[in-house]
Amino acid sequence: MSLLEVKDVTHTYGSARSFLPIRRKETQVLSNVSLTVEQGMCMGLIGTSGAGKSTLGKVILGLEKPKKGQVLFQGEDLYTMTAAARRKMRRDLQVVFQDSYSSVNPRLTAEQIIGEPLDNYEKLSVSEQKRTVAQLLEMVGLHAEDMKKRPGQFSGGQLQRISIARSIALKPKMIVLDESVSSLDMVTQTNILHLLQELKNEYSLSYLFITHDIRAAYFISDAMIVMENGRIVETCYDKNDIFTSEQPKVKELVASILPEHPKDRTITGR
Amino acid sequence: MIASIRTASQGRWAITISSVVLLTFFLISILAPWIAPHDPVHVNLAVKLAPPSWEYPLGTDHFGRCTLSRLLYGARVSLGFAFLIFAASLGIGLLIGTLAGYIGGWIDLLLMRFCDGVMAFPNLVLVLGIVGLLGPGLWQVVVALMMVQWVYYARMIRGMVVSMKEQNFITAARMSGSSTGKIIRRHLIPNVLPPIIVMGTLEMGWAIMDISALSFLGLGIQPPTPEWGAMIHEGKAFIRSQPELMIYPGLFILFVVISFNILGESLSERLGVKRRY
Repeated sequence: MSLLEVKDVTHTYGSARSFLPIRRKETQVLSNVSLTVEQGMCMGLIGTSGAGKSTLGKVILGLEKPKKGQVLFQGEDLYTMTAAARRKMRRDLQVVFQDSYSSVNPRLTAEQIIGEPLDNYEKLSVSEQKRTVAQLLEMVGLHAEDMKKRPGQFSGGQLQRISIARSIALKPKMIVLDESVSSLDMVTQTNILHLLQELKNEYSLSYLFITHDIRAAYFISDAMIVMENGRIVETCYDKNDIFTSEQPKVKELVASILPEHPKDRTITGR
Repeated sequence: MIASIRTASQGRWAITISSVVLLTFFLISILAPWIAPHDPVHVNLAVKLAPPSWEYPLGTDHFGRCTLSRLLYGARVSLGFAFLIFAASLGIGLLIGTLAGYIGGWIDLLLMRFCDGVMAFPNLVLVLGIVGLLGPGLWQVVVALMMVQWVYYARMIRGMVVSMKEQNFITAARMSGSSTGKIIRRHLIPNVLPPIIVMGTLEMGWAIMDISALSFLGLGIQPPTPEWGAMIHEGKAFIRSQPELMIYPGLFILFVVISFNILGESLSERLGVKRRY
């Protein structure tokens, strides 16, 4: 049994809800998407803006019921399971968003932010919870003393580390990383990617790594999927296959990678 | 740069002065029984319409009641009930606003169209209508004002909740397994409340005006309870001989309402709160 199976998911967005009986115009954002993620594997999901990556992420997280198709997490359908099963599933399926500033409540301390999933699932004593939060902070490269700080006192990269600490607090099986490193500078990106890699090895986590940055995806993923206009156009079970793909969209994405050194850059491919 | 510093310090002065004025009125309303020289409803026709004296610092009205004592006791009614109306409208608005904003769908549609309906009428006309239905009296006025004012709070809170609901930290809280109740308590309300309380400061000024206006029309506070609007109403018969009977309560209303407005405006300017319904 695979950890996550997406079967034939199709989803549409309507125009804004109106109380007048106007026919709603619908846009298809996902059409017949299927994919499988195994335990301990990182699946890179690549595509340009508007390819439907984030929508697929939401569907997989159980936040947006698709019009057609199934999402099976550990063999159970996310959208037909009972409330109790859903609550149990939440522990194993977590998320880290792109915008780290809006991912945390500005009025809470780091301790309260990271402690929220612990409050809900683990009934820890006050001192145990403190110790766990301190451990989590150390694990993501922050310090236990940062516990009392509020989001305003952290940088974007540090806040992203806090979001990651919150997502691993319950030792989940899978984390959806929705453009999680995309808004960070190159140095911070590299650090966070290394952190994610370490955490993955330590807990045998599975990631769904959603990004438009093929290099970041190549660094962290085991397999890659390329999306365009709500469809999967290429599936590479070996990530190196991405460079030999004949698919025009994939070629375009690969061609857009900048060479290491500026002097090697050409204007070809424009 | 210099201009912005100047406005900032001016804003600070405005906040300080209006707070001091309001605090004074607040203390007056609490300490009225101890600082008032006379019983505000004690009738003594022997000294009716007396000029100011050591005995009666601001003179007496047509029943020989001490004007100063009545003014001091009047602060209790105005501030007390304005605060009550504020708290109750905020409570109802918070409940309806978060419900409509967070749940959305047809519940939102229904509640907000109702709010639009209430807001379509001029406030005072609607309040007059409700008081007309319920009959004159202090509590009827309070209920009528509450029924009209909660709509504004609900509308604004709903707007804030809708935009906040889309923020990642709400989704993250859901993913952390927090219940809807917990999300509303812990994430929505603490972020919604500060700007709403600033807005409430402005609304308090309006509530005081409305209570006084209705009392002036004879629909609110019934005699002999001292209230500023009712005092103006009683004083208007003596406008030629004793205009101060109207001027004193008028000034009190002016000071309190202006202070509330200045405080509300400067606070919202400082905190960047915009009123939008």
